[in-house]
Amino acid sequence: MAQADIQLQIPSAVFYIEPVRAFVGNLARSLGFSRKRVADIQLVLDEICSNAVHHGSVDPTDSVKLHIGIDTHALEILVQDTGTQQAGEKSWLTDERLSEIETNRSPSNERGHGIFIVKSLSDTHEMQPNAAGGTDVRVVFRFPKPSDIRI
Amino acid sequence: MDSTKLMNLREESGIKIIEIKTDLSSYAASDLRKVLEGLLAEKVEKVVVNLSQVSHINSTAVGALVGVAKRLRQSGGDLKICALADNLTRTFNLIGASSVVEIYESENSALAAF
Repeated sequence: MAQADIQLQIPSAVFYIEPVRAFVGNLARSLGFSRKRVADIQLVLDEICSNAVHHGSVDPTDSVKLHIGIDTHALEILVQDTGTQQAGEKSWLTDERLSEIETNRSPSNERGHGIFIVKSLSDTHEMQPNAAGGTDVRVVFRFPKPSDIRI
Repeated sequence: MDSTKLMNLREESGIKIIEIKTDLSSYAASDLRKVLEGLLAEKVEKVVVNLSQVSHINSTAVGALVGVAKRLRQSGGDLKICALADNLTRTFNLIGASSVVEIYESENSALAAF
Protein backbone atom coordinates (compact mmCIF):
# COMPACT_ATOMS: atom_id res chain seq x y z
CA MET A 1 0.00 0.00 0.00
CA ALA A 2 1.41 3.39 -1.01
CA GLN A 3 1.73 6.31 1.31
CA ALA A 4 0.92 9.85 0.27
CA ASP A 5 1.90 13.33 1.36
CA ILE A 6 -0.16 16.19 -0.03
CA GLN A 7 0.86 19.79 0.59
CA LEU A 8 -1.38 22.82 0.15
CA GLN A 9 -0.77 26.47 0.81
CA ILE A 10 -3.68 28.92 0.90
CA PRO A 11 -3.87 32.68 1.42
CA SER A 12 -4.91 33.53 4.95
CA ALA A 13 -8.54 34.27 4.13
CA VAL A 14 -11.74 32.43 5.08
CA PHE A 15 -12.76 32.31 1.41
CA TYR A 16 -10.16 29.59 0.78
CA ILE A 17 -11.25 27.35 3.65
CA GLU A 18 -14.34 26.08 1.84
CA PRO A 19 -12.52 24.62 -1.21
CA VAL A 20 -9.97 22.99 1.09
CA ARG A 21 -12.80 21.51 3.18
CA ALA A 22 -14.39 20.15 0.02
CA PHE A 23 -11.09 18.64 -1.16
CA VAL A 24 -10.35 16.95 2.16
CA GLY A 25 -13.93 15.68 2.33
CA ASN A 26 -13.65 14.08 -1.09
CA LEU A 27 -10.29 12.61 -0.14
CA ALA A 28 -11.64 11.14 3.10
CA ARG A 29 -14.62 9.67 1.24
CA SER A 30 -12.28 8.11 -1.29
CA LEU A 31 -10.25 6.62 1.53
CA GLY A 32 -13.32 4.82 2.82
CA PHE A 33 -14.28 6.91 5.83
CA SER A 34 -17.97 6.73 6.69
CA ARG A 35 -20.25 9.67 5.87
CA LYS A 36 -20.42 10.55 9.56
CA ARG A 37 -16.66 10.46 9.94
CA VAL A 38 -16.15 12.54 6.77
CA ALA A 39 -18.39 15.20 8.31
CA ASP A 40 -16.28 15.08 11.50
CA ILE A 41 -13.04 15.46 9.52
CA GLN A 42 -14.43 18.40 7.55
CA LEU A 43 -15.65 20.13 10.70
CA VAL A 44 -12.32 19.70 12.47
CA LEU A 45 -10.46 21.01 9.41
CA ASP A 46 -12.81 24.00 9.19
CA GLU A 47 -12.25 24.86 12.86
CA ILE A 48 -8.45 24.56 12.65
CA CYS A 49 -8.22 26.60 9.46
CA SER A 50 -10.59 29.25 10.85
CA ASN A 51 -8.40 29.59 13.93
CA ALA A 52 -5.30 29.80 11.74
CA VAL A 53 -6.82 32.57 9.61
CA HIS A 54 -8.40 34.55 12.45
CA HIS A 55 -5.77 34.14 15.16
CA GLY A 56 -2.62 32.84 13.50
CA SER A 57 -1.77 34.19 10.07
CA VAL A 58 -3.64 37.42 10.68
CA ASP A 59 -1.93 39.41 7.94
CA PRO A 60 -3.85 38.80 4.68
CA THR A 61 -0.53 38.51 2.85
CA ASP A 62 0.40 35.57 5.08
CA SER A 63 -0.47 32.02 4.21
CA VAL A 64 -1.69 28.88 5.91
CA LYS A 65 0.05 25.62 5.05
CA LEU A 66 -1.58 22.20 5.14
CA HIS A 67 0.22 18.86 5.06
CA ILE A 68 -2.07 15.91 4.52
CA GLY A 69 -0.52 12.54 5.14
CA ILE A 70 -2.02 9.18 4.33
CA ASP A 71 -0.53 5.93 5.51
CA THR A 72 -1.77 2.45 6.14
CA HIS A 73 -3.71 3.26 9.25
CA ALA A 74 -4.69 6.92 9.29
CA LEU A 75 -5.30 10.27 7.67
CA GLU A 76 -3.15 12.95 9.27
CA ILE A 77 -3.63 16.69 8.78
CA LEU A 78 -1.13 19.31 9.89
CA VAL A 79 -2.14 22.98 9.66
CA GLN A 80 0.57 25.60 10.12
CA ASP A 81 0.07 29.33 10.54
CA THR A 82 2.70 32.03 10.73
CA GLY A 83 1.69 33.75 13.95
CA THR A 84 0.82 37.38 14.38
CA GLN A 85 4.32 38.69 13.66
CA GLN A 86 3.48 41.77 15.70
CA ALA A 87 5.70 43.06 18.47
CA GLY A 88 4.24 42.23 21.85
CA GLU A 89 1.67 39.83 20.41
CA LYS A 90 1.72 36.22 21.50
CA SER A 91 0.85 33.35 19.25
CA TRP A 92 -2.90 32.65 19.46
CA LEU A 93 -2.12 29.36 21.09
CA THR A 94 -0.47 29.37 24.47
CA ASP A 95 -1.00 26.99 27.36
CA GLU A 96 -2.55 29.83 29.31
CA ARG A 97 -4.87 30.74 26.45
CA LEU A 98 -5.90 27.11 25.92
CA SER A 99 -6.65 26.69 29.60
CA GLU A 100 -8.63 29.93 29.64
CA ILE A 101 -10.67 28.86 26.60
CA GLU A 102 -11.47 25.46 28.11
CA THR A 103 -12.40 26.90 31.48
CA ASN A 104 -14.67 29.56 30.00
CA ARG A 105 -16.37 27.42 27.36
CA SER A 106 -20.12 27.41 27.73
CA PRO A 107 -22.86 26.31 25.32
CA SER A 108 -24.32 29.79 25.48
CA ASN A 109 -21.06 31.44 24.40
CA GLU A 110 -20.82 32.62 20.82
CA ARG A 111 -17.13 31.77 20.55
CA GLY A 112 -14.53 29.45 22.00
CA HIS A 113 -15.85 26.08 20.76
CA GLY A 114 -13.35 25.39 17.97
CA ILE A 115 -10.59 23.75 19.97
CA PHE A 116 -13.15 21.74 21.94
CA ILE A 117 -14.50 20.39 18.64
CA VAL A 118 -10.99 19.54 17.43
CA LYS A 119 -10.24 17.63 20.63
CA SER A 120 -13.60 15.88 20.68
CA LEU A 121 -13.74 14.64 17.09
CA SER A 122 -10.15 13.77 16.20
CA ASP A 123 -8.50 10.52 17.28
CA THR A 124 -5.29 12.36 18.11
CA HIS A 125 -4.55 16.07 18.31
CA GLU A 126 -1.41 18.11 18.99
CA MET A 127 -0.94 21.84 19.16
CA GLN A 128 2.47 23.44 19.48
CA PRO A 129 4.37 26.60 18.55
CA ASN A 130 6.32 26.44 15.28
CA ALA A 131 9.58 27.99 14.12
CA ALA A 132 7.75 30.70 12.18
CA GLY A 133 6.25 32.05 15.39
CA GLY A 134 2.84 30.57 14.74
CA THR A 135 1.10 27.36 15.67
CA ASP A 136 1.15 23.83 14.30
CA VAL A 137 -2.04 21.88 14.79
CA ARG A 138 -1.88 18.19 13.94
CA VAL A 139 -4.87 15.88 13.95
CA VAL A 140 -5.13 12.19 13.11
CA PHE A 141 -8.17 10.22 12.00
CA ARG A 142 -7.65 6.46 12.08
CA PHE A 143 -9.12 4.27 9.41
CA PRO A 144 -11.82 2.00 10.83
CA LYS A 145 -10.52 -1.08 9.00
CA PRO A 146 -6.99 -0.63 7.65
CA SER A 147 -7.24 -3.71 5.46
CA ASP A 148 -10.19 -2.16 3.63
CA ILE A 149 -8.39 1.03 2.66
CA ARG A 150 -7.09 1.29 -0.88
CA ILE A 151 -4.59 4.00 -1.81
CA MET B 1 -20.63 37.94 -1.69
CA ASP B 2 -24.27 38.77 -2.41
CA SER B 3 -26.15 37.35 0.58
CA THR B 4 -29.15 36.46 -1.63
CA LYS B 5 -26.97 33.72 -3.14
CA LEU B 6 -26.45 32.31 0.32
CA MET B 7 -29.93 32.60 1.73
CA ASN B 8 -33.57 33.46 1.07
CA LEU B 9 -35.37 35.87 3.37
CA ARG B 10 -39.14 35.87 3.59
CA GLU B 11 -41.83 36.63 6.13
CA GLU B 12 -44.84 34.70 7.31
CA SER B 13 -47.30 35.93 9.95
CA GLY B 14 -44.78 38.46 11.22
CA ILE B 15 -42.00 35.89 11.50
CA LYS B 16 -38.83 36.32 9.45
CA ILE B 17 -37.71 33.09 7.83
CA ILE B 18 -34.11 32.69 6.73
CA GLU B 19 -33.56 29.75 4.41
CA ILE B 20 -29.85 29.06 4.16
CA LYS B 21 -28.78 27.81 0.73
CA THR B 22 -25.12 27.03 1.36
CA ASP B 23 -22.89 25.20 3.79
CA LEU B 24 -21.94 27.33 6.76
CA SER B 25 -18.17 27.35 6.96
CA SER B 26 -16.36 30.50 8.09
CA TYR B 27 -16.90 32.46 4.89
CA ALA B 28 -20.67 32.02 4.78
CA ALA B 29 -20.91 32.27 8.57
CA SER B 30 -19.71 35.86 8.48
CA ASP B 31 -22.46 36.67 5.96
CA LEU B 32 -25.03 34.92 8.13
CA ARG B 33 -23.91 37.00 11.10
CA LYS B 34 -24.31 40.21 9.05
CA VAL B 35 -27.84 39.25 7.98
CA LEU B 36 -28.80 38.38 11.57
CA GLU B 37 -27.31 41.64 12.87
CA GLY B 38 -29.33 43.46 10.20
CA LEU B 39 -32.54 41.86 11.46
CA LEU B 40 -31.69 42.92 15.00
CA ALA B 41 -31.13 46.47 13.79
CA GLU B 42 -34.56 46.38 12.12
CA LYS B 43 -36.08 45.39 15.49
CA VAL B 44 -37.27 42.06 14.12
CA GLU B 45 -38.35 39.90 17.07
CA LYS B 46 -39.22 36.48 15.65
CA VAL B 47 -36.87 34.54 13.40
CA VAL B 48 -36.84 30.99 12.03
CA VAL B 49 -33.64 29.70 10.42
CA ASN B 50 -34.26 26.83 8.02
CA LEU B 51 -31.14 24.68 7.58
CA SER B 52 -32.66 22.00 5.34
CA GLN B 53 -30.18 22.76 2.51
CA VAL B 54 -27.13 22.89 4.77
CA SER B 55 -24.83 19.88 5.10
CA HIS B 56 -22.08 21.53 7.16
CA ILE B 57 -22.02 24.10 9.96
CA ASN B 58 -19.04 25.26 11.99
CA SER B 59 -18.84 26.71 15.48
CA THR B 60 -18.72 30.29 14.17
CA ALA B 61 -22.12 29.91 12.55
CA VAL B 62 -23.58 28.07 15.55
CA GLY B 63 -22.25 30.87 17.76
CA ALA B 64 -23.89 33.52 15.59
CA LEU B 65 -27.26 31.75 15.87
CA VAL B 66 -26.89 31.30 19.64
CA GLY B 67 -25.88 34.94 20.11
CA VAL B 68 -28.82 36.33 18.15
CA ALA B 69 -31.28 33.96 19.85
CA LYS B 70 -30.14 35.23 23.24
CA ARG B 71 -30.41 38.87 22.19
CA LEU B 72 -33.88 38.37 20.70
CA ARG B 73 -35.11 36.75 23.91
CA GLN B 74 -34.01 39.80 25.86
CA SER B 75 -36.53 41.81 23.85
CA GLY B 76 -39.30 39.22 24.07
CA GLY B 77 -38.59 37.52 20.75
CA ASP B 78 -36.71 34.39 19.77
CA LEU B 79 -34.77 32.62 17.04
CA LYS B 80 -35.70 29.02 16.31
CA ILE B 81 -33.87 26.58 14.06
CA CYS B 82 -35.39 23.83 11.93
CA ALA B 83 -34.69 20.96 9.55
CA LEU B 84 -31.19 19.95 10.64
CA ALA B 85 -29.34 17.10 8.96
CA ASP B 86 -28.02 14.46 11.36
CA ASN B 87 -24.45 15.77 11.35
CA LEU B 88 -25.65 19.31 12.07
CA THR B 89 -27.64 18.00 15.02
CA ARG B 90 -24.49 16.28 16.26
CA THR B 91 -22.54 19.57 16.01
CA PHE B 92 -25.22 21.45 17.96
CA ASN B 93 -25.30 18.69 20.58
CA LEU B 94 -21.50 18.53 20.84
CA ILE B 95 -21.22 22.26 21.49
CA GLY B 96 -24.26 22.16 23.74
CA ALA B 97 -26.09 24.74 21.64
CA SER B 98 -29.16 22.50 21.37
CA SER B 99 -29.84 23.34 25.01
CA VAL B 100 -29.70 27.05 24.24
CA VAL B 101 -31.55 27.33 20.92
CA GLU B 102 -34.87 25.66 20.17
CA ILE B 103 -34.58 23.15 17.30
CA TYR B 104 -37.56 21.81 15.33
CA GLU B 105 -37.91 19.09 12.74
CA SER B 106 -39.74 21.23 10.22
CA GLU B 107 -40.27 24.87 9.34
CA ASN B 108 -43.99 24.55 10.06
CA SER B 109 -43.38 23.22 13.56
CA ALA B 110 -40.88 26.03 14.24
CA LEU B 111 -43.38 28.63 13.06
CA ALA B 112 -46.14 27.06 15.13
CA ALA B 113 -43.97 27.23 18.24
CA PHE B 114 -44.15 31.05 18.31
